[in-house]
Amino acid sequence: MLKSTTPTMVGSEAKAKKKRHSFSLNAKDKYFALLFLGPSLLLLSVFVFYPMFRTLYISMFLTNTLGKTTVFNGFGNYATLLSSPEYIASMGSTLFYVLAVTALTVSIGLLLANLASQKLAGIGIFRTLYSITMGVSVSVAAIFWLFIFNPSTGFFTIISNALHLPVINWLTDPKMAMWAVIITTVWMHLGFTFLILLGSISSVPTTLYEAASVEGASERRQFFKITIPMISPTLFFVSTITLIDSFKSFGLIDLITKGGPTNSTNMLVYRLYKDAFYSGNYGQASSEAIILTIIIAFFTFLQFKFLEKRVNY
Amino acid sequence: MSKKLKNSLISLTLIIAAVVLGIFATNKPVKSSSSSDRIPIVFWHEMGGPSEDALEAVVNGFNKSQSKYKVIPKYQGSYDEAIQKILQTHGTNTSPAIFQSFDIATAQMIHSKYTTPVQNFIDKDKDFDIEKIAPAARSFYSNDGKQQAMPFNTSQPVLYYNASLLKKYHITPPPVSPTYSDITRVAKQLYERSDHKTKGMTVQIYGWLLEQATTNAGQALANNDNGHSGIPTEVKLNNPSTVKFLEWIRENIKSGDFINYGSGASAGANQIAGFLSGKVGIFIQSSASMGKLTKNNPNKLGITYFPHPDGQKANGVSIGGAALWISNDKSKAVQQGAYEFSKYALSPAVQAQWQKSTGYLALNKDAQKEKILKDLYAKNPEAKVPGQQLADAKPNYVNSGILLEGMQVTRQLEEVAMEEAYNGGDIAKALSHADKNVNQNIATSNRANGYK
Amino acid sequence: MITSNKPNRLNKVLSYLLLVVLAVVILAPFFIGIWTSFLPTMDIAQGNFFSTKVSFDNYVAAFTKTPIVRYLGNSLVISTLTMLAQLVFCSMSAYAFVFLKFKYRNAIFILFLITMMLPFEAEIIPNFTTVKNLGMLDNYSVLLIPFLTSAFGTFMLRQAFMQTPTELKEAADIEGLNHFQIYWSIVLPYNKISMITLGAYSFLGAWNQYLWPMLTTFSNDSRLIQNGLRQLQSEETFNDWGMIQASAAIIVIPTIIVLFVGQHYFKSGMNEGAVK
Repeated sequence: MLKSTTPTMVGSEAKAKKKRHSFSLNAKDKYFALLFLGPSLLLLSVFVFYPMFRTLYISMFLTNTLGKTTVFNGFGNYATLLSSPEYIASMGSTLFYVLAVTALTVSIGLLLANLASQKLAGIGIFRTLYSITMGVSVSVAAIFWLFIFNPSTGFFTIISNALHLPVINWLTDPKMAMWAVIITTVWMHLGFTFLILLGSISSVPTTLYEAASVEGASERRQFFKITIPMISPTLFFVSTITLIDSFKSFGLIDLITKGGPTNSTNMLVYRLYKDAFYSGNYGQASSEAIILTIIIAFFTFLQFKFLEKRVNY
Repeated sequence: MSKKLKNSLISLTLIIAAVVLGIFATNKPVKSSSSSDRIPIVFWHEMGGPSEDALEAVVNGFNKSQSKYKVIPKYQGSYDEAIQKILQTHGTNTSPAIFQSFDIATAQMIHSKYTTPVQNFIDKDKDFDIEKIAPAARSFYSNDGKQQAMPFNTSQPVLYYNASLLKKYHITPPPVSPTYSDITRVAKQLYERSDHKTKGMTVQIYGWLLEQATTNAGQALANNDNGHSGIPTEVKLNNPSTVKFLEWIRENIKSGDFINYGSGASAGANQIAGFLSGKVGIFIQSSASMGKLTKNNPNKLGITYFPHPDGQKANGVSIGGAALWISNDKSKAVQQGAYEFSKYALSPAVQAQWQKSTGYLALNKDAQKEKILKDLYAKNPEAKVPGQQLADAKPNYVNSGILLEGMQVTRQLEEVAMEEAYNGGDIAKALSHADKNVNQNIATSNRANGYK
Repeated sequence: MITSNKPNRLNKVLSYLLLVVLAVVILAPFFIGIWTSFLPTMDIAQGNFFSTKVSFDNYVAAFTKTPIVRYLGNSLVISTLTMLAQLVFCSMSAYAFVFLKFKYRNAIFILFLITMMLPFEAEIIPNFTTVKNLGMLDNYSVLLIPFLTSAFGTFMLRQAFMQTPTELKEAADIEGLNHFQIYWSIVLPYNKISMITLGAYSFLGAWNQYLWPMLTTFSNDSRLIQNGLRQLQSEETFNDWGMIQASAAIIVIPTIIVLFVGQHYFKSGMNEGAVK
């Protein structure tokens, strides 16, 4: 979910180092630290650190009917996965989905934010309307769009029939089903992305545009030469957030396609869920979990690194 | 403002503390107060839609019929999702006392040893005559000469057609046990004569239907007699019978009279919606859909047996549906209550009403004598068809189900192969590919479980 | 486009036109969904989209025939409690990282950062076993306890706390306040906006939970609204579209109202943090 992991990563690491303030170098500090940090540390250890190691352990085993680890398999589960055309295809479709969602969400969000940053009467209404999908949860988005895509009575089908256009099989054609999921995801993420980009565009100093106007730069030129460079940290930020969140997509897939047709939308997290909680292959699902973690950790790390650099310049 | 925030934070912390404490203090599933003096029997089921209403009527009937137990039904979503939930919650206080588990998880449930065979209760019970229960259904859920679970909702796959539309366009209805080409004819005529307004037919991408088509052609899918004489080690989906079935569908896709609703639960619902609104004339589905198809259907419903290949006799299909299993992680009294409920659910009057409201077959022979069913047959003679199909089939290893762990994965892979075939891929190649994955999975599973 | 200094009439009309068209496209799924929620299911099934038989029947059905009220209540309680807990625990950890000196502070902070790299989705298998062994299944506690704190929230508040002006702390030092007092009466009030922003996010995050509640709740007593809708959709195999759309509308309308009311905070909070 986009809304669960969110912004404000752009910290001021550098500034902080210079004026890291502490009240008193009190010996009691460590007791307070234990008190203040203890609960969080305990929770994170139980629900984040321990399960990571446990997952790694299970991923080295075969599991029986009861889901218990029985036969040590070394990296066998990983070998099976990486040599399986289905898993590679699942990885490929995830990548396609993630890139399409990120590119579309950010570019449409940028278009909307740019439009809504104009100083026009009543622009506030449009700003509100464009951010409306922030209030839409997974299941609601899925249900609204499911009806639109429904092959026999859906909105698109009604329109196509009325205009005598060929009906698109949104949910049964593997290619179109992928697009159906992409469209729904983009729609859902749009409100949030729009709002962040709008904030960023609004904070670009107007003097820059005034100077450019005097020099006779066209609006298009101003957009590419001033707006884009000025908001590039935010652009990067929303892109990585969207990227990481789409890697974890689950709800929409579960509600719209259940991974089908022909596994075309059986993306990493959904596959993991199905292998574990449908088929009971906990060993293999755990190795999928480890691979997923590596991918997500890589992108999160990239994000941290980039943000650090931006702040230091 | 800061004071306000502070105050609210303090009160919030207190609320959290109170709630967390409260949760730990009453760390038990919420039970309704009215059941305080009765033994609660938690019952997990997977019946949705009208079948859920019918099941709740059975539960209410049982709760009213006695005062010792109270059955609490809890819907768990699809059959597929329920299995792992049942296995993984075993031994906790949230696990069910009695649960509904579908046909293809039978091997898993037996091997888990998490259940008490109903035979243990039947042996001590003089009032219950197991001979009254349909043998085909009984044998499906027994092992080692013991009844493992109480067969419950039992269905047959059948073919439905829109009889009103056929009449309107002067199309001869298909015979009661049709061949593939009989159906193709009707579907094509319907599509042409309705001016392409109504699609002729659909077959949902559903592994069960593919298995049944193969079964009806007399072909076993798994070795060791479909698992009845030993743990299977190999499955062969790429066989002439399955290929013929998929080629039949492909032929209809090519002539344009076929509509594909895809796979999954929403596909099933869309297909029924399409059928009811006259967008498609023929579809194949469980007899359990009859409840939905007779309620609110402005058209006359036609039913035939599951179609079979041309030029050979139908072998008969196997039953589908689910059985009631009793968990062994509950006290003796609770288990006894669970058994009492399963016994009640199979009594003649309950079974008759159950068939009438859902389309699942009444398993108790005496149910046929009940007025409800007699009236039903008088009013809708076609309601008899699924029962006749069951009676017509001579039980053999091929049509008594596949006793294989990992049937859920197998079914998913079957569905991928079906999708590929529907979308124009090479049928034999799609099936061999599925075979390869299924067999790899069987090998891994047998190794993990220590089966030789 | 940004600063249309010259009030070009045509440009203005075009801008409005574009704004309106885009608004219609974005809002269309709402309109379609809400419109169909007033239609009889039979008309929807037959593609009779412009039916005139508009009524509140679907809403009545959703409220009376389904446990949607219970689902909504569960979600409201869980989301509120998650939000409050995260505010308390994240602000406490953030305070420790900024204002306390202790051994391994940086190491522990890096641990927190690492947890942000580990997706919860990848850890559901052992976590399921953990909550099962703790006897938390199918209960509010399973929806709450794993989410009482968040590394992200700690990180976000730490960044905000670091900007607390030094004068405030010096004053506190002179007054001889202890850490609890400083935390309560200086740091928290000063970072009100960041707290509200985190609150909003943790609330929405909990509200949108899907996979975990789906795995760990088995009865309507503890089922959350997202899974509840899924349940209705799968349960109503007859596809009572009208009622399902009505349920979706019932869920979405309150969140949108909350969003409109809280929008001011969202925007300022986000701009403060994200767009430096």
